[in-house]
Amino acid sequence: MKSKKTWWRVVALLVALALIAAACSSDDEPTGDATTTTAPSATTAPTTPATTTPAGPKTIIIGTTDVISSLDPADYYSTADWELGRLVNEPLVRFQPGSNSVLEPGIASLPVASADGLSYEVTLRDGLVFGDGLELTLDMAVEQLNRLMNADLQASAPNQVGDVLAISYLESIEAVGDNTIRFNLLGPAGFYPQILAGAPFVVSHPDVYAANEINLLPDTPLYGLGPWIITDITPAEQTVLEPNPFYTGTYPAKVDQVIVQRFSTPSAMADAVREGEIDIAWRLLGAQAADELRSVSSLTVETIPQAPIRYLIVNHSDGWVTADPLVRQALAAAIDRDELSDVVFGGAVTPLYSPVPPGFLGANEAFEDAYQAPNNTLAVDLLTQAGYSESNKLQLDLGYPPEHYGVTTADGVLQISQQWEATGLIDVNAIVQDWATYVSDCTNGVAFDVCVLGWFFDFPDAENYLQPFIEGDGLGTMVLCPSESCGDAVTTGTDPQLNQLLLEQRAETDPDRRAALLGDLQDVYAAEVVTIPLWLEPEFIIYRDGIVGDSSLPSPETLNIGPDFEFIYSVLDVVG
Amino acid sequence: MHPLLIVFLIFGVPAVLGLAWVFLRGSESLRRYILTRIALTVPMVLILISVVFLVLRVMPGDVVSSTLGPKASDATRASITEALGLDDPLIVQYFKFLGDVVTLDLGDSFIGARRPIVDELGERLPATLELIIPAAIFALGSGILFGTYAAIRRKRPADYGFRLYSVIVYSMPIFWLGLLLRLVFSVWLDWTPIAGRIDVVTNTTLDRTTNLLFVDSIISGNWEALKSVLHHMILPALTLGLVLSGVFVRLTRINVIETLQEDYVIAARARGIRERAVTYGYALKNAMIPVVTVIGLQVAILLAGAVLTETVFNWPGMGRYLIQRILLRDFQAVQSTVAVFALFVAMISLAVDVIYSVLDPRVKY
Amino acid sequence: MATELESPPDPGQVPQWELELQQVGLVRRMLRARRWHGTDWWFVAISSVMVAAFLVIAVFPQWFASHDPLEQVGPRLLSPGELPEQEILVVPVDGSIAAISDFELDVRTPVAVAQDTPSSDAARDEADRITDEIAAAGGEGRVRLRIARFETVGEALDSVVAGDAVAAVISSTAFDDLTADFPTLQSSGAVSSAAQDATSFPLGTNQVGQDVLSRLIWGARIAVIIGFSASIASFVVGVPLGLLAGFIGGKTDRALTLIMDSIYAFPGLILAIAIAAVLGPSIFNIIVAIAVLYIPTYYRIVRGQTLQSKEELYVEAARSLGAKSKVILGRYIFPNVIPSVAVIFSVNVADAILTGAGLSFLGLGLPPSTPDWGIDLARGQEFIRSAWWLITFPGLAVMLVVLAFTMMGEGLVEIFNPKLRER
Repeated sequence: MKSKKTWWRVVALLVALALIAAACSSDDEPTGDATTTTAPSATTAPTTPATTTPAGPKTIIIGTTDVISSLDPADYYSTADWELGRLVNEPLVRFQPGSNSVLEPGIASLPVASADGLSYEVTLRDGLVFGDGLELTLDMAVEQLNRLMNADLQASAPNQVGDVLAISYLESIEAVGDNTIRFNLLGPAGFYPQILAGAPFVVSHPDVYAANEINLLPDTPLYGLGPWIITDITPAEQTVLEPNPFYTGTYPAKVDQVIVQRFSTPSAMADAVREGEIDIAWRLLGAQAADELRSVSSLTVETIPQAPIRYLIVNHSDGWVTADPLVRQALAAAIDRDELSDVVFGGAVTPLYSPVPPGFLGANEAFEDAYQAPNNTLAVDLLTQAGYSESNKLQLDLGYPPEHYGVTTADGVLQISQQWEATGLIDVNAIVQDWATYVSDCTNGVAFDVCVLGWFFDFPDAENYLQPFIEGDGLGTMVLCPSESCGDAVTTGTDPQLNQLLLEQRAETDPDRRAALLGDLQDVYAAEVVTIPLWLEPEFIIYRDGIVGDSSLPSPETLNIGPDFEFIYSVLDVVG
Repeated sequence: MHPLLIVFLIFGVPAVLGLAWVFLRGSESLRRYILTRIALTVPMVLILISVVFLVLRVMPGDVVSSTLGPKASDATRASITEALGLDDPLIVQYFKFLGDVVTLDLGDSFIGARRPIVDELGERLPATLELIIPAAIFALGSGILFGTYAAIRRKRPADYGFRLYSVIVYSMPIFWLGLLLRLVFSVWLDWTPIAGRIDVVTNTTLDRTTNLLFVDSIISGNWEALKSVLHHMILPALTLGLVLSGVFVRLTRINVIETLQEDYVIAARARGIRERAVTYGYALKNAMIPVVTVIGLQVAILLAGAVLTETVFNWPGMGRYLIQRILLRDFQAVQSTVAVFALFVAMISLAVDVIYSVLDPRVKY
Repeated sequence: MATELESPPDPGQVPQWELELQQVGLVRRMLRARRWHGTDWWFVAISSVMVAAFLVIAVFPQWFASHDPLEQVGPRLLSPGELPEQEILVVPVDGSIAAISDFELDVRTPVAVAQDTPSSDAARDEADRITDEIAAAGGEGRVRLRIARFETVGEALDSVVAGDAVAAVISSTAFDDLTADFPTLQSSGAVSSAAQDATSFPLGTNQVGQDVLSRLIWGARIAVIIGFSASIASFVVGVPLGLLAGFIGGKTDRALTLIMDSIYAFPGLILAIAIAAVLGPSIFNIIVAIAVLYIPTYYRIVRGQTLQSKEELYVEAARSLGAKSKVILGRYIFPNVIPSVAVIFSVNVADAILTGAGLSFLGLGLPPSTPDWGIDLARGQEFIRSAWWLITFPGLAVMLVVLAFTMMGEGLVEIFNPKLRER
């Protein structure tokens, strides 16, 4: 029968094909196509001589694992949304690339506060033209901005960004005179200019984004007032940007094309940057991968000053063991943040001693001052006072999500459990719960005593690290679900100073006085143990030799990415 | 034209033609059997899809909450719930779902990228196919080869050697084998790339029509892309193929042994026909029949193995997509993916059963 | 070629060696069988020893594991057999500090270390030890450190030179390399003044400093629990159903067979994933998920055997003599089913362990800190470049265990009945 021979031939053919392909491809240059060139790339062993780049269009490929959630400015939510959003659309004002404290004009002038502090005015620049040639008018601008104030529109949007950044602070947005936009506030908020620097406060193209409809994934080419045009989107895979010829702002594009390539896992991205398939790796790489890439000579690995934090939400509801302030304080005292950082992350994360990370106005180390953790003597004292003993141990339910914050969460939770159990008076029951149900269960106070959560600011100010946790009756939406649908969790006896100080610092315009108020607020926060801050997550940027940022701006070694994680592709250039 | 449709055409057209040929040429009872068999497919698929539908509605975990997060207002929750049709009674949802599946209106993935699910599957089904087809070819080829050889040389060293080989590769967890191969060939030797289907840069030069990158690169004459695709494909396909070849070696060996013990073989030997002719002429042909049947069942193993292989090699296929979606409680995507899986498996087993019934004259129906 | 097949099996004639075997006791039979079955006997013998060893380890892991699998017992990512380096305290030459015990109490003294090294652990351990000493002697006060972490050893030493840190803790080999660059700094000896044995670990440590070997041993327990429980559950459900379906026939048979075929035809792992995801993460749910997968296998085999046995003469005879169905099933049919089921059970356990490892590899089912082979493999992926031992050994363990059970099943198949069809 011939079938045996036929099979054999087919198998042999395929194996031969594969081997030939492997043999040929292993000598391949990573950049194979003549029209796209990048800086000369060196593969790891075996080394090949660097290719000379022929004079041609400059393309930069950026790798990321971030997911685009929405490309409608009234709904920009994820970091990827904000990043692309501020490239296609020019914001009203922006932070200088590399800083998160210096505001500069965008399409409008710096905001000017009114005498009573209840409104801000910005003046639009002249001669603003969208990427397809449409000229901007004042009414157009106000109409597009008012999409953030449109409650119905926001209700139909997946992310309700307008609720958080506009509707809760503003009364209205209106046009004044020929070219001025006025933001009328509900109450004094000295930090509001920083909110205006956020990605949702852009003037988007009126033909693409209608007043009463959310357009999550608009067609390409996508035009805005910004330095870039999105020419192609393959969802969840690739986004291609090219310079906007009508751009008149401060940061025009320097290269001819930027491709943002999405990877599904950080390790795939790490390998791609190692092999030279991409030029820059940005977002969610992880400390281990960054560490391994440090040893590759053609790559530069830089750490961005940290902004996202991890913390423990503590359940303050009546009837739960953590409603007792003594218990909460004991938990805060028994945590060993250094051990957490060393054992679980190899020292890659920085211990955090206050809800407000260092570097923000008014940040102090309230938890360190209050507890000098790890302080088992204090913890045991407090627990004994609260009525616990060897025979009557504190039973604690500690919740955490399995992979949303990375697989190291489980290791961290194990360490924390061991630290608390080392007091001899606590039994920890670690409960893993999938992300889908976890957040609401964690924040509505009906499932866990303590649970792990992360936070990244909406705008770079201490306000945004405090207000979500303190508000109204003393505990904000992140600690207690405000909606009736969340259950019957009730809290009594929260220190009223929390809310008081929050409102005071918000209304304060003098930075020194505000810093003092913030310091007091953090001290009360620590005494109350509203939440237990744990550590700061580092973020890494990795790029190949030949990619440079703008040396006239702060922090060129991190490609001008500052603590707000805003990556402006316009600063990028290819040399050599 | 939608890639998903193209894939179904590539496999569907020959299948339908083959079925028609068998139907026309076959006997009355064969036709009845085929019709019954096709009729049976429908309840099988229906059961599977319905089970998935129910299971997902019962799952703890509220899609709405997981998408919107804790800050969402009640009004938003209500509007999204309405948009997804989650407030309709279960029966209504069920029939709407069935209707959607039939018209291939698989809805939008509501979490993450929010794309129409047909598009997502249109990219991922071809990816999975590009993984399992080379693996299956390798497994079948090596399996039949080694299995036959082992059966012929029964109780000799070669037999035990191949049995040991088959048992060892079958015992290896697929994901471990994949990781080891990655470690050796991608990390230590740097011969193969570590993940993905194709180089990032080469990808931008390739026109994707079917999303079967192998086919696409040949169609467009893009040899650079073809090299890249093969280069990326070899380790994952080898992983899956090796583990499966263990199964086929065992299977072929047992069946050939049994066939060689059949009366007619002994009779042929007694008549003086040379051993070689006996083996190839009589035994193998008939031994292949049960092997063919089992191929249909092995599709299940292939798909299961594909899930693990895709996870290890970051292969953007349907298996990995399914797991991600289950963990995200994106039930729209999950029920659609499982439906596609079920259809696929049903199609293959139908085809195999029909082939089996044609090949084996002993089967009564 | 004609000699390859031993005596052509004529159903009417029992071979001499089989007759002989029937005449001796079990043990003798087992040993004599070696002569007749040859290599197959060795397959079964070796694999039984492996299975027995595995079971002993799984039931009594504490006898074999030298460390607690959940405790940090050493520096992270130590390779097999590697000895951790000695950490030393580096201080300014003209300073007054010579050891951590010289640090001021109750003040956070800044100490510089390099990231991703055990230096910070060593420094903190020493600080804790001194604090304990003070407390034991009846005193008050704690030695507290403010650890400043730097990307490289050089940067850490720079901060000591600049006065930002009082001292640095680094490995002695690292300091030897850099002594020349830092003339104003000197080593004041080992960080810890207490005598310490540096231990190595036979299979290394993982990313949080747990001993890989101990985790492997404790992982065996989880594997056994999952494997056996799931197989027993499948057995308990599948066999009676198969007997019933085969015996009763008719509509029950057709309906059951349809359901079983649907489950059987569907990719098993995906079904298990779906079930595990629905039920939630716990070991019990994993067992249920895997058990469901294998019920059809038992069902089909038992049903087939029952159908065959039903037609036997002696069953008809029993029926005509008025024996009740229960009796027929129990006394005549069930014993015929046992040999095939026994073989399937052993292969089933192997498959169940494999599927269980697959499920925990994908992150479903077990709490992430459980010492489980699948979980260890999944975590080890991240370190594939720097720590090859994290993925090699857990996978090897799975393979060996599955191999043992499968080989046992395979060998038994050949020995019990060479004509037995496999599925």
